[in-house]
Amino acid sequence: MDKYLVVGHPVPQVDARERVSGAAEFVSDIRLPGMLHGRILRSPHPHARLLRIDTSRARRFPGVKAVVTAEDTPKIPFGPRTDDWMIMAVDKVRFVGDEVAGVAAVDEDTAEEALSLIEVEYEPLLAVFDPLEAMQPGAPLIHNKEKNIVSEFDLVKGDVDQAFKESDVVYTNRYYTNQVYQAYLEPMACVVQPDLSGKLTFYMATQIPSMTRIPYAKALGLPLEKVRVVVPYYGGAFGAKMETNLHLVAAVLAQKTGKPVRMVNPREEDFMAGNPRVPMAINLTIGAKKDGTLTGKEVKVVGAAGARAVYSMVIVATACYRIDSLYHFKNLRTKGVTAYTNTVPTSAYRGFGNAQMAFAVESSLDMIAETLSIDPAELRIKNGIQTGETSIHGWKIGSSGLSECVRRATEASGWKEKRRQKQFARGIGLACCNHVSGNRAFAREFDGGAGIVRIGREGKVLVYHGESDMGQGQNTVFAQIVAEELGVSLEQIEVARVDTDVSPFGLGSFATRGTVFGGNGVKAAAADAKRQVFELAAEMLEANPADLEAREGKIYVSGSPDKNIPFLKVAENSLYKRGGAPIIGTGFWVPDTVLPDPVTKYGNISPAYPFACQIAEVEVDTETGQVRVINYTAAHDVGRAINPQTTEGQIQGGVAQGVGWTLMENMVIEQGRILNPNFRDYVIPGPLDLPPIKSILVEPVDPKGPFGAKGIGEPALNPAPAAVANAIYNAIGVRITELPITPEKVLQALRRKNEDEKILLL
Amino acid sequence: MNDEVYELETPANRTLLDVIRDDLGMPGTKQGCGNGECGACTVLLDGEPVNACLVLALQANGKRVVTVEGLSEGKKLHPIQEAFIAHGAVQCGFCTPGMVLSVKALLDKNPTPQEVEIREALTGNFCRCTGYQKIVEVVLSLRA
Repeated sequence: MDKYLVVGHPVPQVDARERVSGAAEFVSDIRLPGMLHGRILRSPHPHARLLRIDTSRARRFPGVKAVVTAEDTPKIPFGPRTDDWMIMAVDKVRFVGDEVAGVAAVDEDTAEEALSLIEVEYEPLLAVFDPLEAMQPGAPLIHNKEKNIVSEFDLVKGDVDQAFKESDVVYTNRYYTNQVYQAYLEPMACVVQPDLSGKLTFYMATQIPSMTRIPYAKALGLPLEKVRVVVPYYGGAFGAKMETNLHLVAAVLAQKTGKPVRMVNPREEDFMAGNPRVPMAINLTIGAKKDGTLTGKEVKVVGAAGARAVYSMVIVATACYRIDSLYHFKNLRTKGVTAYTNTVPTSAYRGFGNAQMAFAVESSLDMIAETLSIDPAELRIKNGIQTGETSIHGWKIGSSGLSECVRRATEASGWKEKRRQKQFARGIGLACCNHVSGNRAFAREFDGGAGIVRIGREGKVLVYHGESDMGQGQNTVFAQIVAEELGVSLEQIEVARVDTDVSPFGLGSFATRGTVFGGNGVKAAAADAKRQVFELAAEMLEANPADLEAREGKIYVSGSPDKNIPFLKVAENSLYKRGGAPIIGTGFWVPDTVLPDPVTKYGNISPAYPFACQIAEVEVDTETGQVRVINYTAAHDVGRAINPQTTEGQIQGGVAQGVGWTLMENMVIEQGRILNPNFRDYVIPGPLDLPPIKSILVEPVDPKGPFGAKGIGEPALNPAPAAVANAIYNAIGVRITELPITPEKVLQALRRKNEDEKILLL
Repeated sequence: MNDEVYELETPANRTLLDVIRDDLGMPGTKQGCGNGECGACTVLLDGEPVNACLVLALQANGKRVVTVEGLSEGKKLHPIQEAFIAHGAVQCGFCTPGMVLSVKALLDKNPTPQEVEIREALTGNFCRCTGYQKIVEVVLSLRA
C-alpha cells in the first residue's frame, strides 16, 4: 500500500483481545456498588386513555426501592426532532410497549414481580395501524394534532409528464418494504448513576453520545452539564441505539433512589419498544429511452412512523431523494408522507430509507433493462453518476467508483456467462447504490468532526473522539489514522472510551459518517500534536521544525536520516520542561457541505459519497418456493480502505443483514401487537442461511475523506434486497415487490405465472 | 468451573447463567435473549456446548463447566481466540465468548470439519455483525 505504513493495512481491531477474552465490560455487564435493577411497565393496549395508576402495592413489596410514573417527571414533551415524547405516558398510551411506570428493586426478579402489582386502569380507544388509514379524515388521532401526519415531502424538478411522453418505456410498480428489527445481540441497556449535585452519569450504548444529551436534559428538566454520557463496550446497534425512554426511566429511578440503576430490555421488550425500520409503501414510475437513457422518475412514498416521530420523517425524505444522486433521472416528481400509527415508533436502521428505495428503483431498472433488451449492468453504468459531477440536488461527487464497482463485480461473479447460459431455477441479479458519509440534513446544528490527542511521558498516545464504536472497528480506524499522522506504531495508540466530560462533541455514528468525520477530526488533532512535537524536537535537534518528518517512532531531519530523535524522548523531555504538561493536540474538520434548501432540496449533504454494486446468485426450489442465496459478490467504492480487514467485515455483515431482511425477517404485527418478539419466531440468518460473500474494495481515493476514505456501514446493506429479488426474477421469471420474499409469495407468483402462460395459449 | 471447585448454595430456580455472571462474577458469558435462542451464553458442560440460560445451576452440580474465562491461561489466549483476532472474526464481540466455545466443542470432537459441518455446528450461535464468513475462516484455519 503505497507510502503509508499503517493506513491501508489490514489489522485486527485494537480492542479485539478484550472482546474475545470476555474481559470487555459491556453495558449489561456493569455492576456498581449499591446498584438497583430497573424494569418498565409497558402498555398492553395500542391506544388507550390512562385513567388511574395505583403503585401502592408495588411500592410496599419487599425489595422494591422506588416506583415511578409520569408524576415523578417534569412532564416536559421532548424528542430528537419532534417533541412528541414523554418519559412515561401522560393521559394516554399510544402503542403496545409504551412506557407507563418504572420500578427499581434490589434485583431483577423483584422488580419484575413488582410490575405485576401496579394497577392501571385503561379506557381503550380506537386505534389505527396502517399509515394510509391513519392519513384519512376521521381516523383516530394519535397526538393532539389535527392530522396524523408527521411530515410531508414534495419535490418537483423538470417536467416528468413530458419526459414520460417522450420515453420509449415507462415502467410503474408498487413496492412494499416491511418493518424489520435490527437484532443487535446485546439488548438496549444502561446504568444511570446519580451524584449529590444532581448530575447523572449515563453508562449506555448509544451511537450519539453528545447529541442524546440535548433531548435527555430537556426531558429531565436539567441543564446540559448535568447529563454526562459514558459509552462502554456495547453489542451492536445498526441505527437503533439512539434515544430511548429506557435510559430516561432509569434516570428518573436513579434520581428518586439516589442509587445507580441498571436497566436492560428483556429481548421481548426490545422488539416491542425498540426502534425498528420504517416500513414504506412505494409507488414508482421510471421512464427510459430505447438506448437505456433514463428520462424521469415519479415516486410516492408512505412511511409509518409508529407512535412517535423519532427520525422517521428524515428517513422518508432520504428515501424520496437520495437515489437521485446515483443515476441521472433528469426529471423528478416526488411526494412523501410520514404518518403516525399506533405501533412501535420506527426509526433508523442501516440504510436509513435509501435501502428501502434502492429495493424499488433497482427492481424497476431490471424490468426496464429487460424490456429494452439491455444488460442490467450496462444500464447502470450508462446512467450512473461520475467523478466530478454535481447531481440534480447539488451533491458534489468528489469521487465515484460506481462504474468500476459494476465492472469488477460482474467480472468476479461470472455475470456475463451466467446470464447467457441460464440454468433451470437458478438466477443471478445485480443492484447498485449510492450513499453518504455523513448527512448534513440529519444533525442540523453544525457539521464537522473533532479529536483530541494526548501524548504522555511514556510516549503513549491517547486519542479522544466523540463518535461511537459499536463493534464496526471505528476505534481501530482512528488509531490507524493517528499512528500514520504521528509516524508511530499502532501499538503506541490507545483510544479512550467516549466520555462527554472529556471527549469532543462528536455528532456520532450514523449516516455512515464515523470514518470521514471522526477520522478527519482525529487526523487534525494528530497534526496539531505533531506540530508541537516538531517544535520541541527542533530545539533538541537544533533544526528547523519545518524540516522535520516523523516515521516509525522517530523524528528525522529531512535529508539527514542520521539526525533523529525518538518520539518517546521528545514526549518525556516536553513533560519535564513544562511542569508535567502532556502534549495535547486538538483539531477539528469542517467540510464544505451545504444544508439542503427546504423547498428545492438543493444543497450538498455530504463531503464524500460511497457507491456499490452487489451481485446475488440464487437457487429457487420451485416445489416449495424456498430461495437459497448460493453466491454473493459485493464491490464497494470505499474511497480508500483505512483497514481492509474491518471494511471487509462491514461488507459481509451488511450483506448478511440485507439477505436476512429480504428472505427471512418480518415483524408480524396484528392489531398493534407484535406476534413474534423473540429469535425463535423472528429468525435472523444463521451460518447456514448465508452464502460465501466475496468483497471487492474499489479505491478511487476521495479528495475529502481522511487519506481518501469514505464510509461503508450502510451501503454494505443497501443493494442486497434488490440484488436478491433481481436474481429471483432471473431464475424463475417472477417479480416479487413486497418484502420479505417468503416461499409462500414465490409459490403464489409462480402459480400465477403458469396460469398467465396457459391463458395466453387459449 | 474453569478448573476451580466452587461450593455454593443457590435457589433452585436460578440458572447457570445467573450464577456464572452474578454469583461468581464472571461476566464474559453474555445474556442476549434469556430463551436459549441466540447462543450468546454458550458454555461447555462436560465438554458439550449448552445455553447457560436454559440450564439450572443445580444441573451443573458435579460437572465440569468451561466459560470463556477458562479458555485463556492468564494473559495467554487460547489458539481459537487468537485466530478470531487474526481473522477479524470479532466485531462487537457480544456473541464471541459463546461462539468461541462452540468452535472449541466442534474441534474437540471433529478436528477436521468441512465447511458445511462448521456452519451446522455454529447454527446455535447468532452473530449479527460478521455474516459468519470470517468465523468460518477461523475454524478452517484451525483444522488439524
